[in-house]
Amino acid sequence: MSATRLTAGERLERLLSIIPTVAASPEGAALDELAERFDYPPDDLLSDLNEVVFLVGLYPFSPDQLIEVMVEDGRVWIRYAEYFEHSLRLSAGEALALVAAGQSLLAAPGAEEDGPLGRGLRKLAVSLGLGDDSPVEVTLGGADAEVLDALRTGVAEAREVEIDYYSFGRDRRSRRVIEPQRVGIVDGNWYVLGHCHQAGADRLFRVDRIDEAVVRDAIFEPPDEPPDIAVFATTVADPRVTLELAPEAGWVGDYYPHDRIDEVGDGSVRVTLPVSAVPWLERLLLRLGPSASIVDADASLPGDAAAAAARRIRDRYHRQ
Amino acid sequence: MAVNKLERLMNLTAALLATERPLSREELHTRVPGYPEETSSFRRAFERDKNELRQMAVPLSVEPVPGTDPAVEGYRIPPDEYYLRDPGLEADELAALHLAARAVRSSDGTSTGALRKLGGTVARDEPALESIGEVPVSPEVNTVFAAISERRLLSFVYRGERRTVEPRRLDLQRGRWYLTGHDRLRDGERNFRLDRIEGKVSIDDIGSSPVQPPGRPAWRHPWELGDGPPVPVRLLVDADHVGWVRRELGRSVVIEDRANGDAVFELLVVDGVAFRSFVMTLLDHGEVLSPPEIRDDIIAWVDMLAGR
Repeated sequence: MSATRLTAGERLERLLSIIPTVAASPEGAALDELAERFDYPPDDLLSDLNEVVFLVGLYPFSPDQLIEVMVEDGRVWIRYAEYFEHSLRLSAGEALALVAAGQSLLAAPGAEEDGPLGRGLRKLAVSLGLGDDSPVEVTLGGADAEVLDALRTGVAEAREVEIDYYSFGRDRRSRRVIEPQRVGIVDGNWYVLGHCHQAGADRLFRVDRIDEAVVRDAIFEPPDEPPDIAVFATTVADPRVTLELAPEAGWVGDYYPHDRIDEVGDGSVRVTLPVSAVPWLERLLLRLGPSASIVDADASLPGDAAAAAARRIRDRYHRQ
Repeated sequence: MAVNKLERLMNLTAALLATERPLSREELHTRVPGYPEETSSFRRAFERDKNELRQMAVPLSVEPVPGTDPAVEGYRIPPDEYYLRDPGLEADELAALHLAARAVRSSDGTSTGALRKLGGTVARDEPALESIGEVPVSPEVNTVFAAISERRLLSFVYRGERRTVEPRRLDLQRGRWYLTGHDRLRDGERNFRLDRIEGKVSIDDIGSSPVQPPGRPAWRHPWELGDGPPVPVRLLVDADHVGWVRRELGRSVVIEDRANGDAVFELLVVDGVAFRSFVMTLLDHGEVLSPPEIRDDIIAWVDMLAGR
């Protein structure tokens, strides 16, 4: 419940929903419950009903043209508010936000289509004119339901979890013990943020790269305020590489965080990117081929990353 | 001050909702208490109130007052556009939506307002639930959504061309919004990434979108896109990498689990270049088995990059 005062617009928005709710109920409504449901400070609600809604009506504001408000013993009754008989419809933004939030949870592994959320979303879609077959859908990166369950248990019970993790950037698979602090979605993929015993530091792990997760008996002391996953995901100090990209490789600037991107004429660009690990750079260069060339690279990065990786792949195909 | 403004806004909304004909500004000045007497101050206050109502998505309609010549602008709120169609949610359904809105917030925080209109947030004893993610929203996405629900046409510039599109569905795929719809310029179904739309998206006033099923999801793997015939391709993946590749591609495409843990995937490939790009992300942990022309294409590509 917010303690801050509501603006006139916020009060109006709430009252336009409160009035139809109360008017529809012959036995009135409890004030404290209304305050809770509509996030309205109770004292303000009482005074707004008594001093404002009481004066609302139609020209010429004779008694028969005013909304009737009666407050008694912590309950309120409202009558003669026919023009406010329904709430204001949802704006497109409000409707989409709610539908997308619901669809996101339905897209999570283990969600039940026919549970209360699925049923509520279907009713909502019909009332919004979207029909039975929702035209809004959310797809999240694949994560195993058992893995997600184990990680959530670890967060909820502050217990360590052992994971079998494939680091895509480093191209390395390892078993680690983590103290999971948050599980969440960033850009459509599930992540777990946890203190990693092996690294001795907080790390972010993509859940779809975890093959197995086992909750251990050991408990840990969770931090008071774990860092935000979205913020954590973007604050990395890594060596940089500067690539010149032909026009067909311009998508790189859309997909990867970069320090800067500059046009260099004929549609080509120069982009400076953080490199989380050498295999990440190898993959990028292998995919781009002749469309990319290294202009400048941190001394810690190999200058021939693409050729070295290409030779390993070639050896594989030629070894029979 | 705030109270006066609230009272005035409520009376203005009531007057505009209850009226059967558009009311002129002067009539509203008389009928709604709380405005300044002086004309120019009244007009300024009235403009602010109109904006306030529009920001709340109150459908304020501007029409000529009947019988005026020259026409005088009049205002009203058509009740059938204003009133929420009550979806009739049960308490558990409302509570589930409430949880969803708290767990997955929209980047502009609008979903709690929606819940108040649907009857308020009811869940009181729920455990404190922290946010698990955020839905990216923007004016463009909202416009597309409005067009879908109202069956209106959309107009926007994409890849340098102005398109008129009958919108069918919106997909949030890995954090990006995609629109699928019938592109009248190309006369075919097309997918559009909303963040690639150039400039504004507008709802076309003329014409409406025929009722159509929402169609297939917009997002497919990049190598599945294109117009050519799909070619079945077999891909061997080393045991250590089967887990993440399976989650990336889906379980159904595994056609062989080998005793050593390796697995063979079968994919339908339309766009060979996009497929090669995916195969490269496997580094040397995977290998195209067949057909020979795609295997040879991969070999030629790495031969070139290895610098023979």
